[in-house]
Amino acid sequence: MSTSDDTPPNLYAAREPIFPKRVSGRFRNLKWIIMLLTLGVYYITPWFRWDRGPELPSQAVLVDLANRRFFFFFIEIWPHEFYFVAGLLIMAGLGLFLFTSALGRVWCGYTCPQTVWTDLFILVERWVEGDRNARLRLHRQQKMDVRKIRLRMTKFVIWALIALATGGAWVFYFADAPTLLWDLLTLQAHPVAYSTVFLLTATTFVFGGMMREQVCIYMCPWPRIQAAMMDEDTITVAYREWRGEPRGKHRKKADADEAPLGDCIDCNACVNVCPMGIDIRDGQQLECITCALCIDACDEMMEKIGKPRGLIDYMALTDEQHERSGQAKIPVWKHIFRLRTILYTSLWAAVGLGLTVALFIRPDLSVTVAPIRNPVYVTMSDGTIRNSYDVRLRNKHGEDRPFQISIETDDQLKVVAEGAEDALVLVPADSTKLQRVYIMAAPGSAAATSAVTDVRIWVEDTVSKERAGKDTVFNGKAE
Amino acid sequence: MSKKSENENGVPTTGHSWDGIEEYDNPMPRWWLYTFYACIVWGIAYSIAYPAWPMVNRATAGLLGFSTRGALVEELAAAEAANAQIDSRLASADLSVIADDAGLNQYAVSKGAAVYRTWCIQCHGSGAAGAVGFPNLLDDAWLWGGDIEAIQTTINHGIRNEDDPDARFSLMPAFGADQLLSEEQIEGVVNYVMSLSGEPHDAAMVAEGAEIFANECAACHSEDGTGNRDLGAPNLTDAVWLYGGDYDTLIETVTYARAGVMPAWGLRLGAAEINAVATYVHQLGGGE
Amino acid sequence: MSILNKHKILETNVTLLLIFSFIVVTIGGIVQIAPLFYLENTIEEVEGMRPYSPLELQGREIYQREGCYVCHSQMIRPMRDEIERYGHYSLAAESMYDRPFQWGSKRTGPDLARVGGRYSDDWHVAHLEDPQSVVPESVMPKYAFLMHHTVHSSHIADYMKTHKLLGVPYTDEMIENAKADFAAQANPDSDYDGLLERYPGAQVRNFDGEPGISEMDALVAYLQMLGTLVDFSTFTPDASR
Repeated sequence: MSTSDDTPPNLYAAREPIFPKRVSGRFRNLKWIIMLLTLGVYYITPWFRWDRGPELPSQAVLVDLANRRFFFFFIEIWPHEFYFVAGLLIMAGLGLFLFTSALGRVWCGYTCPQTVWTDLFILVERWVEGDRNARLRLHRQQKMDVRKIRLRMTKFVIWALIALATGGAWVFYFADAPTLLWDLLTLQAHPVAYSTVFLLTATTFVFGGMMREQVCIYMCPWPRIQAAMMDEDTITVAYREWRGEPRGKHRKKADADEAPLGDCIDCNACVNVCPMGIDIRDGQQLECITCALCIDACDEMMEKIGKPRGLIDYMALTDEQHERSGQAKIPVWKHIFRLRTILYTSLWAAVGLGLTVALFIRPDLSVTVAPIRNPVYVTMSDGTIRNSYDVRLRNKHGEDRPFQISIETDDQLKVVAEGAEDALVLVPADSTKLQRVYIMAAPGSAAATSAVTDVRIWVEDTVSKERAGKDTVFNGKAE
Repeated sequence: MSKKSENENGVPTTGHSWDGIEEYDNPMPRWWLYTFYACIVWGIAYSIAYPAWPMVNRATAGLLGFSTRGALVEELAAAEAANAQIDSRLASADLSVIADDAGLNQYAVSKGAAVYRTWCIQCHGSGAAGAVGFPNLLDDAWLWGGDIEAIQTTINHGIRNEDDPDARFSLMPAFGADQLLSEEQIEGVVNYVMSLSGEPHDAAMVAEGAEIFANECAACHSEDGTGNRDLGAPNLTDAVWLYGGDYDTLIETVTYARAGVMPAWGLRLGAAEINAVATYVHQLGGGE
Repeated sequence: MSILNKHKILETNVTLLLIFSFIVVTIGGIVQIAPLFYLENTIEEVEGMRPYSPLELQGREIYQREGCYVCHSQMIRPMRDEIERYGHYSLAAESMYDRPFQWGSKRTGPDLARVGGRYSDDWHVAHLEDPQSVVPESVMPKYAFLMHHTVHSSHIADYMKTHKLLGVPYTDEMIENAKADFAAQANPDSDYDGLLERYPGAQVRNFDGEPGISEMDALVAYLQMLGTLVDFSTFTPDASR
């Protein structure tokens, strides 16, 4: 009750706008290259063509939701092969473990779409409104004069165009890209396509242009998850506090009266370039996406004042202990080749190898057999006992194929397809056919008079001679 | 209600104090409050748009003119309109060649399966295996014919019903009940019938039974016992029995006769539905 | 403001709280239920409805006694799937002589509101005796005993009087002839003109195919008339209701 007059703490903090300064250096160059690569892959991939014959779409990468197929160059995944997707997700998970334990939040810093598009949007902002100081001035200028309006509008229009291209490119993965582009332009496309484009355009604009680092800090679960996956050997961006402190203004000559200063000249270059708006000198933080732009900024400054580079550097926690005790930094390869990372790599490779093997040994036809159990058998007029089976025949070829159904059993059984004299079934290209198949046992035969007889139904592609079999049973009229 | 007091956080309390536990009087969260207001506005708008308030004679009808029955009529009409074209094709289709038209055939089988499940399974079973007295539709034994036209006629007009003058009709005499044959004669003819399909029988009685069969039964069941589809007289030489092929059941059948009834579905269902269910039954495995 | 501050009185007095809760619920109930009794568009006049004949009434009694309503509803809702399976949706007027109504709330078996005329008497008898003999996947219990229970008509007039007391418009003539009508409906050889005059559309047959009036006769007579009274080829329900 003593502090009853205190005002309650305000739980809401308004966002402090961040105006990252331009920086150059090796990590910045790496980021440019990665940005070019990722954006290029994203925008261009749907336009690759791939000849699959007349029946199938000729797009190299296509998620065909309507027909439930996934095409990836020479690979075609059917819905029942969804385990490939599960496998790829497991690989993605293991890959994340691997990269996080070795390199920390390298995904966030370089390849995350949020980072890439924000980087692109900041580039546009800088190009239109100028570098940090100009943007700060524009921001603080209260009056909405013609110049401010012109600059803002130019920026927003370019952002909107990028966002539109982003949202637009997404839908091309789900339909034939040239056709869809024409349909979109001539207002003939499906409403779902337009709403998807609109939604992704809006989110790209808002996330990349407006929200930026807030997405990473408040919305994304990655920082929390990844923080739990890092250890003391993980390489992250860190400040060599033992070298930099006490920080202070750079002086040409050391003044004997004052205590010796560290290498940090408190120029704030590292803070000004940070897209997350933090000070790396405060240590590892949740907000840091390890984009390494502060390393570039600091290295540039250190070179100017003639000090060694690396005041801010990629290093691990164990390096800090070593350097503080006067030892040399541990080599990078020792951080990376650890039992943990090797284990992740081998698991990752094992799953990948398994998927690759599965991909190449899977047959181009497959069959499932469901015996009809209502009724279990039918007595024909001549006393023949007949069983029915729902057989699903999958033809994954790009052309129609006649499939020959046969059975393998010790007993004299006969197999015919519904509506046919024999058991030859034409399955259309790239589709599944449900065919009712009858197996008949002659009156008085062993199969007709015993309760259960084991049967294997074989399906053979009469062109490629591939075979697939399924075990089932024949139910007789037990005496 | 006691006067509101404030606590160390400066948040007022409601003044309630239960065993020393007090309750903060924080305002509702803004988003919650606005959602609540939005719900009220929605409720008012809804009661204007849809039937709602009871008045003196009627309830308000709502601006949108919605009614459950009206919506249902629209839905039924829409469903009918959606299938109208293919249904009219199906209604006038030549059933003997329907299998050649893959699209129409597939539609007919699916529609027929739905009609079958609604109207037919109670007697013929969900798997179409029938029951005692109700024929199995999967086998190749047909009383009145197993080609698709004959099946369609049977479904359309039914069997031995009083509703449709074109119903398939025939009547087996009750040989025992009406004292057309003596018990011994019936036993003889039953033994003969069982010999036709190779069932265990008393060989001594077969000769007499054969004579009675030729006189009394052959007119309908034909001389060799293979039946007559024009009369719905079953084939007695095969392995399929509608009421049972054992001695006691056959005695009962000859004594009291059998006369199964099937409704005339043409009086209840449309032509497209009749053709659909005929197509469905024809492809169950016994169609000729 | 002052009255709003009085809620502590209610909140600290359980009995009072209960009483006031009951009042609030009552008001809500009245507001929702009472208009249904006077609003024109909730009361539909339908041609063809008549009170149950004595035999049908007896069958209905057996239907209730055996708890058929636990598994079978008699209410086809205005939904496309129900209509395509069961027939025209039920009208409120079709239950107007039901005391109590048999709408049910659960369908373990199918809806029976329009089962009348759908199957033959033989089928009903076979099905009630041994449901699995005609519908193998059925879980319905067997009711073969109905065949062996003779129903007597001695109480039927009293039974109809009770229904009359509850509002079913049985005339004195109907009650006088109750016994005769009861016997006539199950005997196609009897003189049943009076029965048909009093109960238009009543079906006269020997429902179970056996001599005498068994409970099977009564129940099948009831089942075979369910939903058949309104002729939907001539009556079109108002679509605005």
